[in-house]
Amino acid sequence: MTTQPLNGSYEANVLASVPMVAVDGLRKTYAGGVEAVRGIDFEIAAGEVFGLLGPNGAGKTTTVGMLSTTIAPTGGTARLAGFDVARQPIEARSVSSVVFQDAVVDRSLSGRSNLMLHARLWAVPPREARARIGELVGALGLGELVERPVGSYSGGERRRLEIARALLSRPRVLFLDEPTVGLDPRIRHELLDLLADVREREETTILLTTHYLDEAQRLCDRVAIIHRGQIVALAAPGELLADLGDAVLELRVGGEASAARAALAAYGVPVETAFAIGSTLTVPLRDTSAGDVIAALDRAGVSAASISSRQPTLDDVYLRLTGDRLDAAA
Amino acid sequence: MSTTALTRSSRVAPTAGPAPRRIPTAAAAILTLAGRRAALTSRTPRQIAVPLLGPLLLALIAGPALKAATGGLRSHIDYASFIDIGTIGLLVPLSCIFAGLSVIIDREEGAQRELLSAPVPRAYLILGNLVVALGLAALQVVVLLVLAAVRGAHFSITVAGMGWFVGAVLLFSVFIYAAAEALASRVRKQEDYVGAVPAVAILPFFFAGALFPITAMPSVLATIAKFMPLTHALALMRYAFVDPRGTGLHAIWGMSNVTAEAWLSLGVVAVFAVAMMAIAVRVFSRAAMK
Repeated sequence: MTTQPLNGSYEANVLASVPMVAVDGLRKTYAGGVEAVRGIDFEIAAGEVFGLLGPNGAGKTTTVGMLSTTIAPTGGTARLAGFDVARQPIEARSVSSVVFQDAVVDRSLSGRSNLMLHARLWAVPPREARARIGELVGALGLGELVERPVGSYSGGERRRLEIARALLSRPRVLFLDEPTVGLDPRIRHELLDLLADVREREETTILLTTHYLDEAQRLCDRVAIIHRGQIVALAAPGELLADLGDAVLELRVGGEASAARAALAAYGVPVETAFAIGSTLTVPLRDTSAGDVIAALDRAGVSAASISSRQPTLDDVYLRLTGDRLDAAA
Repeated sequence: MSTTALTRSSRVAPTAGPAPRRIPTAAAAILTLAGRRAALTSRTPRQIAVPLLGPLLLALIAGPALKAATGGLRSHIDYASFIDIGTIGLLVPLSCIFAGLSVIIDREEGAQRELLSAPVPRAYLILGNLVVALGLAALQVVVLLVLAAVRGAHFSITVAGMGWFVGAVLLFSVFIYAAAEALASRVRKQEDYVGAVPAVAILPFFFAGALFPITAMPSVLATIAKFMPLTHALALMRYAFVDPRGTGLHAIWGMSNVTAEAWLSLGVVAVFAVAMMAIAVRVFSRAAMK
């Protein structure tokens, strides 16, 4: 790890190319020996949107908890804008904000009171806070809600308020911990539009955790796939997908798909990147063609109940790397 | 594992970016947190009224009735007024324990996570709550004393007496609120917390000389009572308003100088308050940090 604590301004920080988030060997073992995070490393540059992708229990929320200083790491280091989260927790919290999975606003207070509370705790000067609240209330469509008690908000409205709250202090690092979990599909898509807009307008570094692939593909510059507390892949979404080629062939066979995979290999089809789950075999068409695969199946005497071709997704990347399906595990 | 080098997004102009870090002053942070707690408390009026109910009935009805039934203390102290002060030993714990319940509600409803992610020391979260708990307890004590006076209680109030009274109530309230915070941080459910109320708020009331002088108890119990902060706090409050000779203080210390006894008792309550506050901060911080 080469980063140093910051003594200068944010501009100096950026000019020195210090990563906004620097995680080195970060580890968390809970009482009872449960290893939630098992030594992960990554860096996030200023202004980057970084996705931490994995199913429930993969270690995403524990990672965000350690970075936001509510969970004590048991090993490794993490720095936000140069501040060590274990040794300089207050400074680290001062440069960050979190949109949690669950609601954290005071329901009996109005939206504006909640926003003002956050502004005061993050030491935003009153005049600046009022202006910033006006700006965010307009941008996030909270104009007609902000004077009402938060208890009367719908789930989507409350999530919008929480995003406004988190952005109020202009955090250098914004954590979005599964921001769309529990929302119905329409509100979820509205929120994704809104986050895409935030991404364009706000000059902040974002760490987004999600188990929704479309969120990661749509919003993130890079994604890390986390599985059982370890990062198993880290790259831009496009690069991860490129490993699988332009298309994949999905075959549903009569018995175990692993037997069909072995049969394809015996007939010369490259199957290093193919993966079998139950009776479904997925063959990336990077180094072969659909015709070659189907011909090899015929020669091997393997019958397929269905054959379809489609574009690869991050789900395929995840499946290939871990043997688990994201949606099923989540 | 597939990785790429650290990249910087080209669409961001970081040099014009977010503001430098800002951390609120201690006073600003504590006042903000107290303001939040006051706003939430004002929306639950039962938190103000319910703790008052039992002690008020005790002071306004049971006290005079006990005086009539027993003939009083047969001393210079009016027994009904003695009980009026004694009921503060029930009122303050009930008030502070009720206030502590809000810590569990914060945790259950999620608001505590936002507070824990704020750039302030975690002890400030307790201090912010404490400010409101003290204000609430003070308001309730004033209501109790005013109604007792209207009923006919004999309080002899001097400037010095007011000092002793305020000091005793303040420090004892800090002690009991800190105990409430520590308890709220330790237990996971409201039911468990409410179940602990008799042990924390009511049991000491019967052993600390709230309804009768501790000398009326068996010597073993009287000795135990001398180690309880409530015993010292009540003796001080009575010394301040109804017992200028310091009979209660003398029963604890057995010295000839009542002022010295008062300072010693105030010191005892202060030590308990500081120690319990330190415990509360530690327990809260450990519970908040998984």
